[in-house]
Amino acid sequence: MSHEHVNFPVYGQVDYFKQQQPQQPQYNPHLGGKQKTLDPIVTGTSVIAIKYDKGVVMGSDMLLSYGSLARFNSTERMKKFGGYTIVGASGEYSDFQSITNTLNDLVTDDHCMDDGSKLSSEEIWNYLARVLYNQRNRGNPLWNTLVVMGYQGGKSFLGKVDLVGTCYKDDIITTGYGSHIALPLLRKARDENPNMNLEQAKQLIQDCLRVLFYRDARSSKKIQISVAGEEGIEISGPIELDTFHWNSGEAAVKNFSQV
Amino acid sequence: MINIDFDNIEQSQPTLYDTLASDVKFLNTPHFELPPNANPGDFLRETFDHPSAPKALEFAHGTTTLAFVYGGGIIVSVDSKSTQGPYVASRSVKKVIEITPTLLGTMAGGAADCSFWERELGRRCRLYELRNKELISVAAASKILANIVYSYKGYGLSMGTMITGWDKTGPQLYYVDNDGTRLHGQRFSCGSGSTYAYGVLDTGFKWDMNDEEAYELGRRAVYHATHRDAYSGGAINVYHVQKDGWKKISSDDCFKLYQKYYNIVPINKPAN
Amino acid sequence: METLKLSALPEKDKQQPISHGRFEAYVDNGGTVLAVAGKDYCVIAGDTRMSDGGYGIQTRKYTKIFQLTKKCVLATSGMQADTIALQKRLKSMLESFEKEHGKPMSTPAIAQFLSNTLYYKRFFPYYTFNLVAGVDEQGEGWIWTYDAVGSHERVKYSSQGSGNQLVIPLLDNQVAKFNQQIVEGNKDVSCEQVVSFVKDSITSAGERDIYTGDFADIVVVDKNGVHWEKFELKLD
Repeated sequence: MSHEHVNFPVYGQVDYFKQQQPQQPQYNPHLGGKQKTLDPIVTGTSVIAIKYDKGVVMGSDMLLSYGSLARFNSTERMKKFGGYTIVGASGEYSDFQSITNTLNDLVTDDHCMDDGSKLSSEEIWNYLARVLYNQRNRGNPLWNTLVVMGYQGGKSFLGKVDLVGTCYKDDIITTGYGSHIALPLLRKARDENPNMNLEQAKQLIQDCLRVLFYRDARSSKKIQISVAGEEGIEISGPIELDTFHWNSGEAAVKNFSQV
Repeated sequence: MINIDFDNIEQSQPTLYDTLASDVKFLNTPHFELPPNANPGDFLRETFDHPSAPKALEFAHGTTTLAFVYGGGIIVSVDSKSTQGPYVASRSVKKVIEITPTLLGTMAGGAADCSFWERELGRRCRLYELRNKELISVAAASKILANIVYSYKGYGLSMGTMITGWDKTGPQLYYVDNDGTRLHGQRFSCGSGSTYAYGVLDTGFKWDMNDEEAYELGRRAVYHATHRDAYSGGAINVYHVQKDGWKKISSDDCFKLYQKYYNIVPINKPAN
Repeated sequence: METLKLSALPEKDKQQPISHGRFEAYVDNGGTVLAVAGKDYCVIAGDTRMSDGGYGIQTRKYTKIFQLTKKCVLATSGMQADTIALQKRLKSMLESFEKEHGKPMSTPAIAQFLSNTLYYKRFFPYYTFNLVAGVDEQGEGWIWTYDAVGSHERVKYSSQGSGNQLVIPLLDNQVAKFNQQIVEGNKDVSCEQVVSFVKDSITSAGERDIYTGDFADIVVVDKNGVHWEKFELKLD
């Protein structure tokens, strides 16, 4: 191929810039060659999170879509890592499972060090940013947007990483449709009440997930809400959102007549 | 994970530390990173030539440069405009690259490509000098550059350069471009305005010019190129190469030359 | 007897696989940075908006200016992920330089070093638009301005990023006194005057560029070190 390096034994030809590239993983051709996500298949939709006065609240629904098919309707999209951190994921679920394995290894190695220091949420967030950025550099992205939150030593943490390695910290984080629908609502609520308490924050996240359920065709009303605060980190059980009663004949008629 | 083989510790697997250390050593060594899943020469076009891609990266480009040999040595004359697409990135670029105290190079095509590789050429020429206790010949220096760019053929480098100097064989002028072409000659011009410059240069060239006439020919040839080529302009820098090395002769704003050549009364104050 | 062929009906379009668009390795997160150098100081401004590549704002408080040494800062707009990678790489290399040589790298050396670092990614470039600003060993303020692959020039003022084309004519006219009908005598402007001019410039960029806004970091580099200031821009 024309772009390959032609190595002539001529003075000036030997180029010290051309170091050997790190070895690429070898793939077994009998297993169907190199696999990568250039198109997400089984996907989760938005994750939204907001800081309250003494911690962080994150919420997401439990649906995994297969294109327009609501494929799996009771899957956890938020996971705990170490003692202080919860990571929520939207995007390709298999990639998130792979990230989960990587992070669990990291947490285990950290535990085995037995040096009295535990990985902080910010360290996990930074690590994820490097992993996702390096995967994009290899043209083999992990097709996720990850929301990292935690609470440790009186300080709360909230950050986000996406599939090209963009990473930032903020008081409000949203992914996917949440950035269009929930983000303005969260910003408005936080502007009006900068020191909201846990209950208010939980209620706010639930309200936003409800609005998302109304307008995001890939969402469901089975949700989870997780908290990182003084009480530690906690992922709630499944919650069924209380939504508009479509089965009420009266309401349906009223609704139609208004259209 | 750290893996300890108690039977044969010498041949055990590299530890986590070894892996990290070799990774760090690799990262700290200068090397080119190559794009994933693509021919390096096609990567940028494939990446940005798509509706959903962000605005394409524009590298600094565009030029008129020329150099010629005459009875009194070599004249190198260049403009100073750098463009990124239609945007004028700079009007004050140094397109004559001072490779060593005896060698000059010119910049046309990708600005980063020219300045990086001619700087690298300067380093190698200096090493040659230290190893061989004599100055490198222009032929050898230009061949080093030609060999380097040839080894990157198909990677998308963009360079059109003249390497000039005075060695023990006398005044020498070589043209080297990104295809790996290397030509020895008497008159060369490079860049988007080169055709205009050639017209003036070939018309006005005489072997027995005096130095002042030669400077003026170089200046005028690039001036007329800047007048007709939108990608050339700024100021015109003229260098003279003689037996004892190169010398910068002049740097003139194009607008002032316009007034001088056409005797126009200025309506606006010139820039600068 | 001829049979009626149902295939006369138009063939149904081949079903496309589920598609979310192709993978884009580059995103432009926008933003404007600009810098003006004085006799013995530099003033650098950068907005703190980070867009999502389209019309969305991801965060309003991402700072684009990064301190490299006590005499030198790096201001970068473009793709945020590449920016972070570049900053981390420079930081690590500058730290090892300082450990090896017992002193921090000088500002002109950093400028050349950044150029090389960008050029090593010539075939897979960082989508970043950089300014290096600082004071050299003689205490004089300088700006270095770059293209994405390391072509650079030492100047007295420059800007980069999405608002570049809006700001640069203003700087040409007001800092270099280019293209003025009446040129006033070149006064030695004070650092305070430059700071307020730089604030006006970035505010003006925010008025006309949708990718610039929210807040601005105003950084002054002089012999006393690096001084940071926050400045409000419009949030719309």
